[in-house]
Amino acid sequence: MRLTQGQFSFLPDLTDDEIRLQCDYALQQGWSLAVEFTDDPHPRNTYWDMWGTPMFDLRDAAGALYEVNECRKAHADKYIKVLAFDRNRGFESIRMFFIVNRPKEEPGFDLVRSEGPGRTVHYTLRPYAAEQPAGERYR
Amino acid sequence: MNAVVELVNDCPLVDKVDLAQLYAESDIEATFTEIDRELIGLIPVKTRIREIAALLLIERARRLMGIEAQAPSLHMCFTGNPGTGKTTVARRMAQILHRLGYVRRDHVVNVTRDDLVGQYIGHTAPKTKDVIKKAMGGVLFIDEAYYLYRPENERDYGQEAIEILLQVMEDNRDDLVVILAGYRERMDVFFRSNPGMASRIAHHIDFPDYSADELHRIAELMAAAMHYRFDAEARAALREYIGLRMTQPRFANARSIRNALDRARLRQAKRLFENRAAPIDRRALETIAAADITASRVFQYKNQQQSTEDDNAKAGADGR
Amino acid sequence: MNKPVVTKITDAKRRFQSGVLQYKQMGYWDPDYEPKPTDVLAVFRITPQDGVDPEEAAAAVAGESSTATWTVVWTDRLTDYPNYQAKAYRLDPVPGTPGQYFAYIAYDLDLFEEGSIANLTASIIGNVFGFKPLKALRLEDMRLPVAYLKTFQGPPTGIVVERERLNCYGRPLLGATMKPKLGLSGRNYGRVVTEALTGGLDFTKDDENINSQPFMHWRDRFLYCMEGVNKAAARTGEIKGHYLNVTAATMEDMYERAEFAKQLGSVIVMVDLVIGYTAIQSISKWARRNDMILHLHRAGHSTYTRQKNHGVSFRVIAKWMRMAGVDHIHAGTVVGKLEGDPNVIRGIYDTCRETHVPQNLEHGIFFDQSWASLKKTMPVASGGIHAGQMHQLITYLGEDVVLQFGGGTIGHPMGIRAGATANRVALEAIIKARNEGKDIWREGPQVLANAAKTCTPLRAALDTWKNVTFDYASTDSVDFVPTPVAAV
Repeated sequence: MRLTQGQFSFLPDLTDDEIRLQCDYALQQGWSLAVEFTDDPHPRNTYWDMWGTPMFDLRDAAGALYEVNECRKAHADKYIKVLAFDRNRGFESIRMFFIVNRPKEEPGFDLVRSEGPGRTVHYTLRPYAAEQPAGERYR
Repeated sequence: MNAVVELVNDCPLVDKVDLAQLYAESDIEATFTEIDRELIGLIPVKTRIREIAALLLIERARRLMGIEAQAPSLHMCFTGNPGTGKTTVARRMAQILHRLGYVRRDHVVNVTRDDLVGQYIGHTAPKTKDVIKKAMGGVLFIDEAYYLYRPENERDYGQEAIEILLQVMEDNRDDLVVILAGYRERMDVFFRSNPGMASRIAHHIDFPDYSADELHRIAELMAAAMHYRFDAEARAALREYIGLRMTQPRFANARSIRNALDRARLRQAKRLFENRAAPIDRRALETIAAADITASRVFQYKNQQQSTEDDNAKAGADGR
Repeated sequence: MNKPVVTKITDAKRRFQSGVLQYKQMGYWDPDYEPKPTDVLAVFRITPQDGVDPEEAAAAVAGESSTATWTVVWTDRLTDYPNYQAKAYRLDPVPGTPGQYFAYIAYDLDLFEEGSIANLTASIIGNVFGFKPLKALRLEDMRLPVAYLKTFQGPPTGIVVERERLNCYGRPLLGATMKPKLGLSGRNYGRVVTEALTGGLDFTKDDENINSQPFMHWRDRFLYCMEGVNKAAARTGEIKGHYLNVTAATMEDMYERAEFAKQLGSVIVMVDLVIGYTAIQSISKWARRNDMILHLHRAGHSTYTRQKNHGVSFRVIAKWMRMAGVDHIHAGTVVGKLEGDPNVIRGIYDTCRETHVPQNLEHGIFFDQSWASLKKTMPVASGGIHAGQMHQLITYLGEDVVLQFGGGTIGHPMGIRAGATANRVALEAIIKARNEGKDIWREGPQVLANAAKTCTPLRAALDTWKNVTFDYASTDSVDFVPTPVAAV
């Protein structure tokens, strides 16, 4: 299974040069970059772990790429993403988000159905990986 | 945001190189002209800059032809007294490196020890890395870099900053150029105790003190830029002032001239204000008189020195 | 012989003598009037009947959309009538079209009830469009003052929060309308949903006339669609949605359907424009109270928005809908099968999603319009578009838009899932290329061809539809084009 969150998940994984170009685009727009990682890929998991604070005041994508690679060293077996944040009025939110690292095996999600009254079914997604505690999920 | 330059090592290989064209394309001639305009004198420095630029141009040509594969080390060390133009040259050097395709952008991040070193455990690494990330793509200028090294205090975190810098200077050559600056002697001590740092510095430039003539020219230029002029006596007083000040402690070259000029302006204003009963013309407002200069303590110090010498001479003559 | 100049009568006794006066005499034409920042302004395109004085026609429009009637009434004197009467304050001939004029009319804020689109429209367009002295009349644009805007809820979710809920940033959203439009049963419908969403789309959509018909009862549709949605979410790890159409005969039925959608965990519901302004505001309030994204299909609008000389311009409808509060609104595609001139569409898109829209006659925007802090409506581009046009779509429409490829997904030769994947890959490739600095208008086809090398579904899509274009002259267009200035 391949987690297809993010802007470019349907394309082949981005090379470092391609990541650099996307970061450059964000810097050109005046957005700040951040790196986050997680081993809980549930789509409603809004808050991945932050790899350091967001990088305001970067002049060049090299700084962001440096952090991406540092994060890869520390968390090679987790999902890592790069975000670009726009603080301008009318947005004040994330403007870009793409995955830059994946665990080797992505087992995916279990769809848990619980039957309700009539023909109603309530659905929950459970990541298979979450059967292990955090930190031991992807090995 | 400056246009991103395609790095030298990303260009395709060729088998012929036109140096004149390469030079013209890089437009570093314009940078040299600006350096000439901004900095008086400093001939040895300017020569050195041109030499380095020529070297970089040839290296670029060699890499375009595939002769050289390894990225050259570009880190530098500028030594000299304060006020000799190190920061200005660092900015121009960033421009040259950018135009020759060695760094992607031409910004300079100017820091001292306090910007890199933290006050408690765990504080230094993120602080240093933050500074480095902001400088990436351009030049990191570390003033009085030797303060990073304080061997007498084993709780000092400067060493951590040095380690991080060393690693980045080696591994991220494409992304960052580091320029260290400071007094010559202290730099020498720093390098002796940190051979790793010394080995990463490719180019040393020494910034000699300005001569009295050069300082005079600087004073004239600065005054003109502020729309002041010296009358003939003032000019003579200025000459004497410079000669005296150079010998006195804590002389910071161009910066000291700037300070002296500011003080002279203050005295001129005071003088004109005290004589405010009489109407004044444009010329009076523009002119710095000798009195505005000779009122400086520098002259009193000279007189003190003079009378001490006289006393010593007298003492000698009396044989006491 | 000079015609006598007709002006406002200021002598009260003469003004209120029984009889018939011209609208101009009653004060509805006032060229010296300075619109207040709290006035509601409207610009009408008027085509007076032959022989009718244009200023009188403008005054008549002002009158009949505010306080006047065809004869003088003494009861006017019980009111502060100069305040309540609308004032036509400006009249411009339409460039290149003799016999047509732009009439600018100002309405005092007190003429309107707070927070009511029904009242706003009843006032402005309720009475005046059948007026005999006019051959044709079109409401082109309106300026709503911030004071008035703040009485409206606005979109329940807005573009920013919608993206945060869907966890989708930096690219347009992708959707598809179910095809065939009518006839599928609930179970079969759900199959299409799950295939399309699994393939890579973010949304699938009920069509406007899917409500609850003999071939598919609404409850069955909702149940099977949510099964499809959740199955796709589990397969992809993304948040997916299907616009469940809750349009019904009565408001009570609509609430019942919306509640069921919420109970089943849908992120989004949809309604059609034909439910009416009152119903739209009701369902909008419900959507905000229940954290639901609200999609609006603009069913029926073309009956009155399409002709340039008569009706209501869609940009006004879009403004009203943003005020009433919808999160999605169909707003045109430019390159697809439905009507849409690029400049007009641009003006409409800006109206939906900018926080401040400056006057821009080239895009058909007649007034500066500030949107206070009303949330942004996401425009939806739907109708005859396919993956091969992705670069054109992004260029014309930008990033904050929902691109819907109904036929373009379900009609794919390799199947629905492949169709969805083709669209998603095309979209991501174009966005990536645009961010890298490529000129996607020119290099788009090459970028798509490159992406198709590693994506067979995209290759098939490009081959199947490469010659499909819809090139007809637009029936609606702007009147103002920039004139080149001679170099001095």
